[in-house]
Amino acid sequence: MAQEDEDRRAWFRREILPLEPDLLAYARQFCRDGQTDPEDLVHETFARAIACKTWREIGNPGAFATRILRNCALDALRRRKVLTITAVADFDRIEPIDEAPTAQMMLESREELRLLAGAIAELPTQCRRVFTLRKVYSLSPEDIAVRLGLSVSTVEKHLVKGLRYCSDKLGRRIGRKSKVDEGRSWSARRDHDAKR
Amino acid sequence: MERETGSRREAVRQAAALWVVRLDDPSCSAADRAAFEAWRDDSHEHEAAYEREAAAWARLERLRALRPGMERPDRDLLAERRPSVARTPWARGMAAAAAIALVVAGTMTFDGGAAYATAIGERRVVVLSDNSRIELNTDSKVVVRYRKGVREVKLIRGEAVFEAARDARPFVIKAAHAVMEADGSTEMAVRLRSDGAAVTVKRGAVDLDPAPTERKDDLRLTAGVTAIYSSAGSRSRAVSDSEIDRALAWRQGAIALNGQSLEQAVAEFNRYNRQQIRIADPSISGLRLAGYFQTTEPNSFVSAVTSAFPVRAAAGSDGAIRLTRRVVSEKTG
Repeated sequence: MAQEDEDRRAWFRREILPLEPDLLAYARQFCRDGQTDPEDLVHETFARAIACKTWREIGNPGAFATRILRNCALDALRRRKVLTITAVADFDRIEPIDEAPTAQMMLESREELRLLAGAIAELPTQCRRVFTLRKVYSLSPEDIAVRLGLSVSTVEKHLVKGLRYCSDKLGRRIGRKSKVDEGRSWSARRDHDAKR
Repeated sequence: MERETGSRREAVRQAAALWVVRLDDPSCSAADRAAFEAWRDDSHEHEAAYEREAAAWARLERLRALRPGMERPDRDLLAERRPSVARTPWARGMAAAAAIALVVAGTMTFDGGAAYATAIGERRVVVLSDNSRIELNTDSKVVVRYRKGVREVKLIRGEAVFEAARDARPFVIKAAHAVMEADGSTEMAVRLRSDGAAVTVKRGAVDLDPAPTERKDDLRLTAGVTAIYSSAGSRSRAVSDSEIDRALAWRQGAIALNGQSLEQAVAEFNRYNRQQIRIADPSISGLRLAGYFQTTEPNSFVSAVTSAFPVRAAAGSDGAIRLTRRVVSEKTG
């Protein structure tokens, strides 16, 4: 049983997780009216996908994941109290993606290294230092705490913060085939809406 | 309401990230692991979120490739702008060493690049249009090609020091199949070897891709690191400032030896002089030398060697200076 669970999780890691940037791009199409967060759709899609006990029978993980995402979007639409005309109109126009995303879009190592180093450089100073010592130099959290004069729990907080920043960065990295304007991200639009 | 889902998502991802960090901590206990499994069993949402953060954590392992070969960890290694390295007395002395000719005009090559070369024993400083500098050592050649969007320099022969000026365009150095991209205001030396090359970074940092055709990681070389790459692979190590200054003593017209073998020292002198030196007796090639010599004066080097070691110098039939072991009877007689 435990092995079965581990196999299922390994399948999820291998086939579904690398689709994140494409799923996110796909999810954005359902969220043009700003009522639903595309990241939430992807988050829910992952939760439903990893639950699949019959994963061995899935021949096309990309098509499988996009189908789940579409269902998640439909459910979110149904949950709404007020349906806007544009939301429904938009929804009807969205075709399943013509070419199912594949797991082969992992970044080239060089490019990925650059992306990761760039992400670390963007972290606040102390967080960046903690993260650098942990991931580049492989120091233990205890060693880092002593070196920087911090508590272990503070070191953990910095590591969590850095990891969260990087995992989102990796997840938003647009696959080569997708052409979505990254500048118009959800959070930017939401802030804009909130100000109105 | 949608905001709530967003913050709920973030809370789950935060919790997942904390588990990833904890489980990777060497001091993680069995109780921690049990608590984690209980948390993961709560929901598939937790399970999936954990896998997502764990995958990112694993991908971040790549960052270890950026670690220079230094013993002391640099917490600011990945900072946006690195604090500038203190200039050594040798670096300050460089202004005085500008006695070498400034070369501005090069030879145009057929494809629009400009070639600059030196003969044996010659040194040259080339100042490029963006104020980047190239200092060519003996018997060396570079081709400079500044195009739209990229400053490209190819080391064809020998050895050179590159000082990249700050510019919006990347400064790219090609040498023996490898491609290097230097940060603005980087000072680095590249010396071609029979296979591959040696790269030493004196100031700034450079990304070295030893085999661009292969899917291998770049090497990030920072100040105080030297790397050697060849078709067999690449390795890097930390070097002290004085070691770098000795390696670059040629910029002052000198060869600085610090425990090199006679064989290495002779090979070094032969780079700079038409008057070649040959070791005719393999039993003396392992002698260790230290000292500071003018590149253009092989004779003073030879006399230093013959006075300090049981070595005899004689003119060979090919005009070269032949070094042999001096037998004791010769010394007394």
